[in-house]
Amino acid sequence: MATDLTERVQEIAEARGIPESEILEQALERGVEDLWVDLVLSRYIDDEIDRETAINLIGRDRVKRADQEVQAIEDDVRWGLNA
Amino acid sequence: MILAVADAGPIIHLDEIDSLALLSVVDELLIPQTVYQELEAGTVPPGLETIEYELVESDATDLGVELDPGETAALAVASERAAVLLIDDLAARDAANDRDVEVHGSIGVLVLAFTRGELDKSAAAELMGALQTETSLFITDAVVEHGISLLDES
Repeated sequence: MATDLTERVQEIAEARGIPESEILEQALERGVEDLWVDLVLSRYIDDEIDRETAINLIGRDRVKRADQEVQAIEDDVRWGLNA
Repeated sequence: MILAVADAGPIIHLDEIDSLALLSVVDELLIPQTVYQELEAGTVPPGLETIEYELVESDATDLGVELDPGETAALAVASERAAVLLIDDLAARDAANDRDVEVHGSIGVLVLAFTRGELDKSAAAELMGALQTETSLFITDAVVEHGISLLDES
């Protein structure tokens, strides 16, 4: 895994023509953004924050997608338990 | 009695977590020829040969949906035969709901496997998590956790 990451960072840096340190900085920013989105959605799904707050924090498209996924997974679990 | 039609998605995703055999928890499984051809374009999961299914033709000419050919074929068969459609794509699920076709996905298969005694609850929960972390299925982490909570509460 560590080797994969190192090789990927090297390949991206070479392809983009920018230093590996900058690639790592961008990776950190994107990773933190993803984790932030996960946290906001988790709080929204657990009813700790309302829909408008979630939309303000991470955008309408992400919240709408999560709504659709929640509907689908609830349908699936209900079916699986009762079929 | 559950008659189900599988799209490529659940076949691929369940195979990715070494759980393709769980598709046999439905009583009768249909796979459209178009879906099988899509699998052949990549690699047909070897595990598919260990479960019973029937390859079927489909007539999707009148559906008028903007889905890929396999999804369209699976929806057509499910509609013709009043079968449960097994598909993971959200747009395809919407199209099925619009046509009053009962539709569920890989998560539903795992929960059904629990209900029918093929998995215990912890194994089902673990596989639900694996669908998010180890497969090509796109599903939000927090949503999977929600699904696992619903299963735990049952």
